[in-house]
Amino acid sequence: MPVEAIAATSTTTMEITVSKFELLRELTATQGVVERKTTIPILSNYLFEAAGDKLSLTATDLDLSLRTSCVAKVKKEGACTIPARKLHDYVKLLPDADITIKLLENHWVSIRCGRSNTKMVGMARSNFPSLPAFPTAGVVKIPAQVLRGMIAKTGFAIASEESRYTLNGALMVLKPESITMVATDGHRLAHIERGGEKFEGISGEMKTLVPKKAMDELKSLLDATDVEVIEFAKDESTLYFRIGSRLLTSRQLTGQFPNFEAVLPKDNNKSITLHGEELSQAISRVAQFADERSRAVRLKLEKGELKLSASSTETGESEDSLEIDYNGDTLTIGFNAQYIIDFLKAVGAGDVKLELKDPQSAGQLRPADVEEYKYRYIVMPMRI
Amino acid sequence: MAFSDFHGNAEVIRRLREMLAHQRFPQAVVLAGPTGSGKYTLALMLAKAMNCLSPPTTDGLPDFCGKCSNCLRIAQAEDLEARVAEAVEARENLRETDKKETRLFVQTHPDVLIIPPDPPQLMIKVDQVRRVIETIYYRPGDAKERVYIFTDSAFMKEAANSLLKVLEEPPDFATIFLLAENPGELLPTIRSRSMIVSLAALSVEELESYLVKHRPDWTAKQRALVARLAEGAVGRARSFDLAAYTAARAHALTILNSALRTADHSDLFKITETYRAGVEGREKTERLLRTLYSLLQDLTFLNSGTPDLVRNTDIHPDLKRLAEAADFAWITAAADRLAEVERGMRRNLLRSLSLDAFATAMER
Repeated sequence: MPVEAIAATSTTTMEITVSKFELLRELTATQGVVERKTTIPILSNYLFEAAGDKLSLTATDLDLSLRTSCVAKVKKEGACTIPARKLHDYVKLLPDADITIKLLENHWVSIRCGRSNTKMVGMARSNFPSLPAFPTAGVVKIPAQVLRGMIAKTGFAIASEESRYTLNGALMVLKPESITMVATDGHRLAHIERGGEKFEGISGEMKTLVPKKAMDELKSLLDATDVEVIEFAKDESTLYFRIGSRLLTSRQLTGQFPNFEAVLPKDNNKSITLHGEELSQAISRVAQFADERSRAVRLKLEKGELKLSASSTETGESEDSLEIDYNGDTLTIGFNAQYIIDFLKAVGAGDVKLELKDPQSAGQLRPADVEEYKYRYIVMPMRI
Repeated sequence: MAFSDFHGNAEVIRRLREMLAHQRFPQAVVLAGPTGSGKYTLALMLAKAMNCLSPPTTDGLPDFCGKCSNCLRIAQAEDLEARVAEAVEARENLRETDKKETRLFVQTHPDVLIIPPDPPQLMIKVDQVRRVIETIYYRPGDAKERVYIFTDSAFMKEAANSLLKVLEEPPDFATIFLLAENPGELLPTIRSRSMIVSLAALSVEELESYLVKHRPDWTAKQRALVARLAEGAVGRARSFDLAAYTAARAHALTILNSALRTADHSDLFKITETYRAGVEGREKTERLLRTLYSLLQDLTFLNSGTPDLVRNTDIHPDLKRLAEAADFAWITAAADRLAEVERGMRRNLLRSLSLDAFATAMER
């Protein structure tokens, strides 16, 4: 059946007036979901729907979709689709005034603002994938800032390797009184837990694998919002995050997240406290001379001193040392410098604790001062 | 539309539908068959049957309705050439920097992704396979089953290798179709991970009866000719360009005539001159070479006393005259020589000169 035949059955009117400021704000917020490098029409179009006194706009990359809305004067209710990139680029250049958007025949859309007048061609509304509706039951409220912090502290550890698809997301575990987020790429693992919360509607344990793309998008939405609480829900195939007037949905990833509890070290008995900033600077310096592929640096624990060193046949060798409070046996262990730098960046200022057992066992890093978050970071050692 | 609209290979279709009925459909299927045998049509039909919202049952086996939103959206991909042309155009309109990194896909339904070979090389590229890997583990949204259709078996080496992992253990809700004219072109490791379903060639009688229904505009004689020339492929028979074929055959005959009988070169040069460089010239040359092969085959049939197998029945007298001049040794030599011309085309030899060389070298 030709495309036109389907189009004929969809609604054919829409006319609204919306302020440029409001529209641009929402367009900008959804840009992250719109795909640039695609030849598939549905992925590069917005869906505009006007009803009541509201304009809702939706962008999707099929795995992820973001729906948002703004106040508009609706003259004729209806829906249309508009090429996303061009619209955003164009609206940015318009003066601060009201914009009138009107659906014409054959999916043409006219955009008028002051003395500017533009027409763009969209596509049939029916080609736009149907969007799942926010479930009415099983909605969990999560404090926005808590979630934001947790994503910032774990997101970087998500694997980007294509072959390990269950690691291409973070595991979120909700219990009646705590929330936990875990991410790993098989070489390192970031684990953060926050107790003392109250989650209604949760009994036992609710485990959710949040895809990396959804995490990134969620983070930027949370950065830009001032709402205090977001709503989270899920059904068989979809995850829902409602942030104020914006709704992010993501299809669920399949697969089992690895049993991470088994790798959390339990008897790391050699513990030292370091100044985060100093450690970060020292490692960054030394890492310049590490092997480019492995990025391996050697950490040597001695009485009163931590020696960091790296060497490669091409660039030379480098050593740094930090003063520490340590009285145990000497221990030498290798780590990927980047993994440690990533953690120190995420944890911010303050002291960190490094806990080790022996050169073959995973090391654990965590903030030295006890916070309301239980944050730990496990890094597998390297043989050097 | 329904499975009953698929012409020929009834046994294969029944077996596939039985697998659907018992929910034992393999997760990776190589659909093999010559151009026009209906590989793509069948893959789309199966995608519809898997995802139809109100699946009817015909002959006790699952079918598809062709009317629900899933069927309709999948059906929009039926005209693959047009969809690919749209995608190519969309890519042309992108920014320069994005163009290079954009790969072609056809996706008229969110859960059905069609991966055509990416021009200009016309091969499946690694970025296309990566996208499959990135998206396949997401649960389907509008459908029950995520379907991936690779429309060509020409993979870049890297692309084929990166497909292996996902082919080995796709998620339960995904099915991957690989369409291949020649499954031997696929890596053995890809073949061993998939089930190979072959669409066999149809008999001349079957094709003729099909053409009576679908090409009433042709005369009975034309239909008989096309049915013989289509090499058992429904799609090829249906869209057979008789005019282009006749033109190519006239040229082929002249070339053979000049080699076998007249040795008058002015006609020959007039013809070979028209085979120029560029894409259009390539198609034309390929058509000519295919026609030459089919004429050589017919000559063999005549010489070996099986004239009923001759395909170009309408030019029987011409063929007969040529057959008298050619013996088996000459025909074998000509076929070898033709293969050389083909190889030369791939190396971008001048088309007209290669054809001249072929004709003069085969002169008696």
